[in-house]
Amino acid sequence: MGGMDDLYREQILEHHRNPHNHGTLETPSVSLDGRNPSCGDVITMQLKLNDAGIIEDVAFSGRGCAISQASASLLTDELRGKSADEIVGLGTPYVMELLGVEVGPARVHCALLGLETTQKAIARWRER
Amino acid sequence: MAGGSWHHADGRINPELVRAEFPILATTPGGRPLHYLDSAATAQRPKRVVDALSEFLFTANANPHRGAYTLGAAATDAYEGARNRIAEFLGVPASELVMLGSATEALNLVAHSWGRANIGRADVIVVTEAEHHANLIPWQQIARDADADLEFIPVDDHTGEILWDRLEALLKLRPKIVAVGHVSNVLGSIAPLAEIAAHVHAAGALLAVDGCQAVANMPVNIPSLGADFYAFSAHKMGGLFSGGGLWARADLLAAMAPIETGGDMIREVRLRDATFADGTQRFEAGTPDASGTVALAAACDFLDALGRQAIHDHETLMLERVLRELPEVLPDVRILGAPAGTERAGLVSFSSDLVHAHDLATILDRRGVAIRAGHHCAMPLHEQLELSATARVSVAPYTNDTDLDALFEGLRDARTIFER
Repeated sequence: MGGMDDLYREQILEHHRNPHNHGTLETPSVSLDGRNPSCGDVITMQLKLNDAGIIEDVAFSGRGCAISQASASLLTDELRGKSADEIVGLGTPYVMELLGVEVGPARVHCALLGLETTQKAIARWRER
Repeated sequence: MAGGSWHHADGRINPELVRAEFPILATTPGGRPLHYLDSAATAQRPKRVVDALSEFLFTANANPHRGAYTLGAAATDAYEGARNRIAEFLGVPASELVMLGSATEALNLVAHSWGRANIGRADVIVVTEAEHHANLIPWQQIARDADADLEFIPVDDHTGEILWDRLEALLKLRPKIVAVGHVSNVLGSIAPLAEIAAHVHAAGALLAVDGCQAVANMPVNIPSLGADFYAFSAHKMGGLFSGGGLWARADLLAAMAPIETGGDMIREVRLRDATFADGTQRFEAGTPDASGTVALAAACDFLDALGRQAIHDHETLMLERVLRELPEVLPDVRILGAPAGTERAGLVSFSSDLVHAHDLATILDRRGVAIRAGHHCAMPLHEQLELSATARVSVAPYTNDTDLDALFEGLRDARTIFER
C-alpha cells in the first residue's frame, strides 16, 4: 500500500473533496468542455484573460475521479497571473510536480485533463 | 479433454481445477497475484486454445480454399471443420454462419448490407438506450444516410434496467428492425429474447441481437431465441482477438450483398465486373482467419466440456456473493441492472459517490485485482444514469472466492482512503 498512500495522500484527497476555484465565472473570456473519451471524465474550464493574454481569473467544474478533479484544482490555483504563452508551454512534468507524485500510465490522462482543457480553451480564445 | 475433470462430484464447476488450464492466472503482474475480474472485456485463453492454434500453425498452415497440394487440403479441412464446430456450438447450420474479424464487423455487416438495402426514408430502427456502441453507431450511420428514424427503448434512470414494456408502443411505429443486446455489457441483465422476438415479428420487424456477453456465460441455442441476426465475439469466449461471427437467417443471408469485396468471395471476375460466391463465403473477402477459427473451435470444445449451464451456475454463485457483500463494504453503492435475485449473466456494474470508479480500479490494482472502470462503450446509458463512469466486475469459470476476497479487501482499502 506504500505507493497508494502517495497517490491518494491527504493533499490530493483534500483537493478532491473541496476543490479550489470550483464553479463558474460571471463573464469568462472563454469556456470549454473537456472530456476523456476513454473513461468519460468531463471538465468545464472557464478563463478570464486580459488583453495582454494574462489569466485574471479561472473556474472549473466537472465530474470524474479524484486524480482528474484534484489535478484540475491544483492547476487552477497556479493559473492566475500566468500568460497564455506560458500555459501553452506546460506539459506532463508540470502536472506531476503539482500532484507531487508520478501517476502511472493508466491514469496519466486523468491527471492531464485539466491542463489539456485549459490549453484548448486558450487556443479557442486566440481564435476569437 | 475429459468432461469430468473440471467439476466437483456433484457436477458444479470447481474453479481450482479450471484455473490450471489458464497459465496467465498463475502470473504475478507487478509482483502481485492476479485476480482477473474483467472477463467481460476479454476472457483469458485456455491452454488448449493456444495449443490448438500452435498445432494448426505448425502442422496444417496453408492458405485455405486454394492450394491443390495436400497441406492446403489439410488447412481447408481444419478451417471448415472449425466452422462446423462453432456452428454446432451455437446450434445453427454452418451454411448460415459468417466468420468475421469481430462482433463489431458482424453488426456493421447487418447494418451496412441488410440495412442499406432495406431501410429507407422515414423508416424506423429501434435500439435500446443501453446498447454497446457497436450495436448503436452502425444504426446511427444507416439512419443518417437513409434519413430514417432511430428510436430508443428507454432505461430506468436509476438502475439502467431496460424498460422492455415500452417496446410495444415503439412497435406501433412499424420499425423495420429492432437491435438489442442479449446480455447488456453494463447491466448484466438478460433480455427476454423469445418474448421480444414474438412481439417484434408480430409487428413485421426483424430482430438483430448482439450476443457478445451471452455466448460464453450461459447456454445459447440461437434457433430457440427467435432472432433473425445474431453476432458474437471470439475473444470473449476464450478465442483470439481476431475473430467474431454473424449468424443470419438463411433467406436474409441469401438476399444480402457483400460490403467487402476481394479474393476468396467470388465466382467469376472479369476486368469490369464480377459475380460473387454463394452462401457465407460471399461475406468473407480475403484469406480467412483459419488459425483463429481453429482456436475458437477449441474454445467451444472447452466451454462445452465445462458445460454452459454449469458455467452459468458458477458465475451466478460468484455474482450473488458480489451483490450480497458490495453494500456491506461500500454503504453508498449504487448497483446497476437487475435487482438481486433476478437472473443475470457474467457481470455487475456499480458506482459509489464516495469513490470514483477509476480510483477504485487503481486502488484494486494494488492488490492485483483487475476490474473495468469507465463507460464500457455505453456512453449514452451512462449519460442517462448521470454517471461519468462505473466500475464493472465480471466473472468466468475460473473466478474463485479468493478473487472475490481480494476484491472486497481492495474495496475496503478504497473506503478507508476516501473516508479519512
